[in-house]
Amino acid sequence: MTDTPDIPRDDDLFAAELVLGLASADDVSTARRRMATEQSFAEKMIFWQERFAAMTDSIEPVKPRAKVKKQMLARAFPTPRTPFFQRVWLWQGTSVAALLVAGFLGVQLLEINTRPDSGQPIVLAAQLTSDNSALRVLAVVEPIKHEIALRRVAGVPAPDRALELWAILPDQAPVSLGVLPDQETVRVLVPEALRSQAANITLAISDEPVGGSPTGAPTGDVLAAGAMTEL
Amino acid sequence: MQTDRQEIENLIARVALKDRDAFNQLYDRVSAKLFGVSLRVLNKRAAAEDAMQDTFVKIWNNADRYNANGLSPMTWLITIARNTAIDRLRARKKGHQDIDTPGFELVSPGLNPEQSVVASSEAARLSGCLDTLEEDRGSAVRGAYLDGETYADLAERFNVPLNTMRTWLRRGLIALRECMSQ
Repeated sequence: MTDTPDIPRDDDLFAAELVLGLASADDVSTARRRMATEQSFAEKMIFWQERFAAMTDSIEPVKPRAKVKKQMLARAFPTPRTPFFQRVWLWQGTSVAALLVAGFLGVQLLEINTRPDSGQPIVLAAQLTSDNSALRVLAVVEPIKHEIALRRVAGVPAPDRALELWAILPDQAPVSLGVLPDQETVRVLVPEALRSQAANITLAISDEPVGGSPTGAPTGDVLAAGAMTEL
Repeated sequence: MQTDRQEIENLIARVALKDRDAFNQLYDRVSAKLFGVSLRVLNKRAAAEDAMQDTFVKIWNNADRYNANGLSPMTWLITIARNTAIDRLRARKKGHQDIDTPGFELVSPGLNPEQSVVASSEAARLSGCLDTLEEDRGSAVRGAYLDGETYADLAERFNVPLNTMRTWLRRGLIALRECMSQ
């Protein structure tokens, strides 16, 4: 005796099997098409869907925990990704104490020459941090050489990722200052176009593929950011 | 006064217009039932919570398809919850099973709007009819619907060849249909 089903499957049984989830993947795609085009087939599907759903009548409602709704709403209405520099502005607030530390380290770092005849140069510094990463970088602008000296005081790039430094002026696209090297300190030149507005720069470091952003704009998460403050 | 059915139907119609307030109300109204269904299928709280979140995201994204599909509103919602939970259950068991394709309840069938749905009393007759089936067959139908058992699973459970299982279950379905149309 061979093992063949001795009941041929008419459309109605086909619909019932589909609703129960007993049909093959091929059957499912056929059925999907037929449902959209053949009214009588759609009615058969509905017939079984309505009736089989009655198997849930005896299932008692269970109140889900409150956090489930919250998480679900966050998934249903994903907040549009905040533009890069809005995210950066959120982190602008830098405490005075932190900047004093930055200034102290920065002045040491730069050995800024405050010659009496040139007066006290304006020293700009920033502390780059964020809540969602361990990365902390101090930055001090050397006003005469138009250099930014950076010291990474905590955090490292993720494996096979790079840290890219960006200078951002209000309402302008971020300008790449390059990928940070492995060592803790580095100096980068402030691009000429940004020099006159150095005090308004916010520095940010983003997570990028090795070699830096392929697009010329930040592609990964902002790992640390901070606005320039005059010391 | 609106019936429950009208009320849920109105909420779904507003959700189709991306009314977030209506979506909130719909959640408060039906989440306990849908969570009960997810939990019955998946039997684990964390998995059921995940599945129910998926279910509501699908409801939010597909509410515009409800109007045309001829199902009663609770059947539509329960079917999404059940299918989502079954997909997840099967994915857990086997690695993969059709998890990204929407269920039939999310297809817009070619129906006239006036095509009416079954009265709930008629649908409720199913339980009585399932009980009139030979015990194994009733259990197989329930196993497929509520536990996501496939023909292969059922054949193994009842220790019969695959096509024997198909024959059995189809006989059961024919008997069900006759019972329900009496």
